[in-house]
Amino acid sequence: MKLKEHWETLTWTWNPKSLRESSDSVVRNLLLHWFPAKISRPSLSFRYSFWLGTISAALFFVLCGTGLILMFLYVPSVERAYPSVKDIEFVASYGGFIRAVHRMAAHLMVVAVFLHMMRAFLTGAYKNGAGANQNRPVNWILGVILLLLTLLLSFTGYLLPWDQLAYWAITVGTNIASAVPLVGDKIRFFLLGGNDIDQNTLLRFYVLHCFVLPTAVLLLFSWHMWRVRKDGGLACVDRLVRDEKTKTSAPIKTKTYSLLGITSGRTVQVETSYIDQDEHLVESSPNLTRRLLLVILATLLVTFLLGFLVHAPLEQAANPLVTPNPAKAPWYFLWLQELVADTTVHLGSYTVSGAFVGGVLVPGLLVLLLAAWPYLDPSSVSATGVRFARERQRQNMVFLAIVLVVVLLTVVGTFMRGPSWHLYWPWQSWPETPTRF
Amino acid sequence: MKSTKLPSAPSAEQKNLDSVEAPGRRSFLRNLGLGTLLAGLAGQLFAMVRALVPNVLYEAPRTFKVGLPDAFAQGITYLEDHRLFIGRDQRGLYAISAVCTHLGCTVKMLNLNQPRTVEIGGKPTQIAQEFQCPCHGSKYYGDGTNYAGPAPRPLDWYRLEVSPDDGQLVVNSSQPVRHDFRLNA
Repeated sequence: MKLKEHWETLTWTWNPKSLRESSDSVVRNLLLHWFPAKISRPSLSFRYSFWLGTISAALFFVLCGTGLILMFLYVPSVERAYPSVKDIEFVASYGGFIRAVHRMAAHLMVVAVFLHMMRAFLTGAYKNGAGANQNRPVNWILGVILLLLTLLLSFTGYLLPWDQLAYWAITVGTNIASAVPLVGDKIRFFLLGGNDIDQNTLLRFYVLHCFVLPTAVLLLFSWHMWRVRKDGGLACVDRLVRDEKTKTSAPIKTKTYSLLGITSGRTVQVETSYIDQDEHLVESSPNLTRRLLLVILATLLVTFLLGFLVHAPLEQAANPLVTPNPAKAPWYFLWLQELVADTTVHLGSYTVSGAFVGGVLVPGLLVLLLAAWPYLDPSSVSATGVRFARERQRQNMVFLAIVLVVVLLTVVGTFMRGPSWHLYWPWQSWPETPTRF
Repeated sequence: MKSTKLPSAPSAEQKNLDSVEAPGRRSFLRNLGLGTLLAGLAGQLFAMVRALVPNVLYEAPRTFKVGLPDAFAQGITYLEDHRLFIGRDQRGLYAISAVCTHLGCTVKMLNLNQPRTVEIGGKPTQIAQEFQCPCHGSKYYGDGTNYAGPAPRPLDWYRLEVSPDDGQLVVNSSQPVRHDFRLNA
């Protein structure tokens, strides 16, 4: 009996017995304090947000956990990196599983964050609604930076096994940096810590991967969540407010003690009270927490299952002298590699390298466009939090067209490029090519 | 009930003192302090970033020996360890880098079944080899001139010298040279 009481003093916030305990739990539990005491029903809907942000965050914490264990087993030195990854894979207990989960979670996080961005765009969630002090465009930009950080985290992790796959993907990736006009070579030198991909590069990528970038993600993620609260929750809440306003309701019975009470025409009301009614609101604990835990559980389940089924590959040790044929970047950068391979332009005697067009210009412009989009969007408040709003139809078409091109190029780069970057159908076999002379 | 003492608002007299007598000195000291703090932080930041730029590189030397000139027969020899081609024709020896000018992969040499004549820089030239890049499909003629794929410029040619001490060929990969460079040895 005593044990049960102790257990309940520890866990009552997660399982409140009364409305009072429910609101108390949000105040008194560190993990719950960033939620509002009550939350509107539409924001809990699976069909509005698909909970993609929660899934991304859950994957991030899976990556932190598995990554922590891998850090104890991995040695970031050119001589020992590859053997230590081999030990993780074949010697350490469950090492192969942990590495597979880490890799799978990384891939899934790229997908989840990208889909999260698509969801936010298609529902006009970067738009301000009627609430005071909203600044959703800032949160959208934070999201774009978080997407870039996710890609960078994945890219820096790619080099660490120090196998052929890693070495040549990073060769191609970092040479793109040197295509930046004027300072390109300097940037590459600073990034690599020298002229060649060597010990300095490995250590730099390791520190970026294990400390700098995850810390940046944590900070920006906190900011992202804080802004969601400051912006009055998800954008669908603003739609609810708007829908409520158009309903004609009986004037609220209030006593007024000023001259306003006898003026005719308008009733004095506070706008936010429109959704402060119990039909729209539920207690965060346990309604939000229950769904949250469910989504986290599902994410873990899928990630672990895929980790069981798909093993992380490990190729031959990195060899700067032998370029594998074909040499491919990580899949989420293959659309860029496709651009890099296709966009060298010859204008008379003047040549614009595809590395600049596909590696710097196009992705740079796309990121700028993404960040600036909320400020270019002329649609009205009524398109906030509405999926495929008519008013934003053309914008959504343009956005989806860009996404489609990126996905198509990724598919071509992943499944249809063989030796010497020639095009092959996925079912065609590749010719035998010598890897050495 | 205990009363908590709030800091009282500055009296009119104090305000006068602040605004009449001290503003110059006060704001100067404040700006000096803030400025020193910012300058110190900027200096620290510079030191931290500068420490990340290596002063000594433990990389392979850019100038290296590759053996006696007689060891290189007519045609093109690939030196895997240096990612380098050494060629010999009637006019002498030359060195071509095997690093693709697009994104730095190692190009592969293909010996053509029959030499063919192509136009390079307006002049018909006979070539017996081609170079192909495995990463993005750039193609070069045997002299390093790019003719297909995304490569923006020809492969680099490096200066060759004969070492005065033991007569070995010395490649200087920090000195690109023109495509008519030949070393008679």
